[in-house]
Amino acid sequence: MRAALNKYRHAYLVGLQSNIVYRWNFAFRGFFSLFHLVVVFTLWGAAYAGQKQIGGFDLGQTLTYFVLLLVLQFFIGGFTEDYQISEEIRNGLINQFLLKPINYFCYRFTIFLSARTVSGALVLLPLAVALPFIYRYLTLPTEAWRLWFGLPAVAMSGVIQFTIAYCFGLMAFWFLEIQSFVILSYAVETLLGGQVFPLDLMPAGLYRLSQFLPYYYQMYFPAAIFTGRIKTQAQALEGLGIQLFWVVVLLALAHLLWVRGLRRYTAVGG
Amino acid sequence: MKPFHYLRVWLACARYSIVRTMMFRFDFLMWSLVEFFWMAVNVLLVDVFYSHVNAIAGWSKYQMMLLVGTSMLLQRLMMGFFWSNLFELGRNIRTGQFDFLLAQPGQPLFMVSTRKLDPDSLINSFVAIAVIIYSARQLGLNPDLVHIALYVGMLGCGLVIHYALVLLVVSSTFWLIGSQGIEGTFFALFEFARVPREAFRGVSNVVFVFALPAVVTTFVPARMLIHGFEPVYLLWLGGVALAWLALAIFVFNCGLRRYSSASS
Repeated sequence: MRAALNKYRHAYLVGLQSNIVYRWNFAFRGFFSLFHLVVVFTLWGAAYAGQKQIGGFDLGQTLTYFVLLLVLQFFIGGFTEDYQISEEIRNGLINQFLLKPINYFCYRFTIFLSARTVSGALVLLPLAVALPFIYRYLTLPTEAWRLWFGLPAVAMSGVIQFTIAYCFGLMAFWFLEIQSFVILSYAVETLLGGQVFPLDLMPAGLYRLSQFLPYYYQMYFPAAIFTGRIKTQAQALEGLGIQLFWVVVLLALAHLLWVRGLRRYTAVGG
Repeated sequence: MKPFHYLRVWLACARYSIVRTMMFRFDFLMWSLVEFFWMAVNVLLVDVFYSHVNAIAGWSKYQMMLLVGTSMLLQRLMMGFFWSNLFELGRNIRTGQFDFLLAQPGQPLFMVSTRKLDPDSLINSFVAIAVIIYSARQLGLNPDLVHIALYVGMLGCGLVIHYALVLLVVSSTFWLIGSQGIEGTFFALFEFARVPREAFRGVSNVVFVFALPAVVTTFVPARMLIHGFEPVYLLWLGGVALAWLALAIFVFNCGLRRYSSASS
């Protein structure tokens, strides 16, 4: 067990180093995500003009939701993992993992964790720059239970984000070009993950339906716990149950795709 | 080369792009679907907003839909005609494959900008046009031919501005070799094109309306359809388009002089 952990610890450290090489890319992306925040603040600020609440939440609560979403995106969001995995399959680079005592999913997940460590740390810089301008809008509920429910929700959201990206990457076993699938999935995730608008602003029926889809648990769910959009512990507990269900289903799907995909795979080259 | 020859080169490139797209029909279908879905997301955002509020910065639901439709059309045209070319320009500078384009018998910027078309984006232009027409109908607008021609001309100016912005960003690759992904800044800037000008106040009004020319590209044509022709806005848009295009060409040419290939 310890030897196995040591193996992935080294993978994490190597991943950390290789991601630090791209620190300027992450920092640049972080800086331009502030532009997105400006759009959000401008548009929602204009929408709130003349009214105190939209969907039961005031301007500060809604803006806090979007700021938190941005932070979460850099700490647990999928960036290019699907593309990297598909490239490793297409170029035959997974051959080395088939010959070594290492689990490909665990290896990729470790690399994902190292990449998010770097991107998460780097988004804090532009956020620190923006803080003097936005701090007066930020408002978070103070109940302690939100932390105890929110942290496992964030962890499971990270697993869901990665596993969905992993599954799309594995589609390279069947398709030569997966980029269109990835972007289509990204569009669905952006909408149903609550990045365009808080999902609770949708009509009640659609909102309830979205709660049974995995996208809801990618980003919206932990953000909603922390920002008070999920109001009670019972609601949060129910959400954690469904989120756990999706974690298990997606992990099983990832394993199935890997096993089936390897049957089709032909290792060519060295 | 004479303008007619450039037209022939462009037509040949366009034909090649269409033939190539038809060879990968499933891919074409998927990308068309992707573009369509992104537009649906924008329309849905407007719908959700206006299910809770009556106006945003003085813009009613269908006025906002017209603005968003205009931005969608502009983005589809940008993606269809220029995006792939400019995106590949950055990559080609990094890898040294830019040499191949320089060796072609024609003006480098033209050769760089017109090699490919993206039919999936262009086909979705019709969806954006449908959104604009639907919104105009809901607003009871009946623009005559002159106003439609003015709208098209203003869209052309908007397209020039967006082309210039992306060219400027991509031209930085001549100096910053390790700038992968820098092209994505265009999408960050383009988000402003979906926000009414009146929503910007104070410093953000100065920076995002006047200094960075994203808002003006959609606000001016949409306003013209809604409120009628106002020459001052056309002058503003035309002036901004000319200035940014001149700046982008200047920077591109400076980069060109600096370029020393990257391969053996």
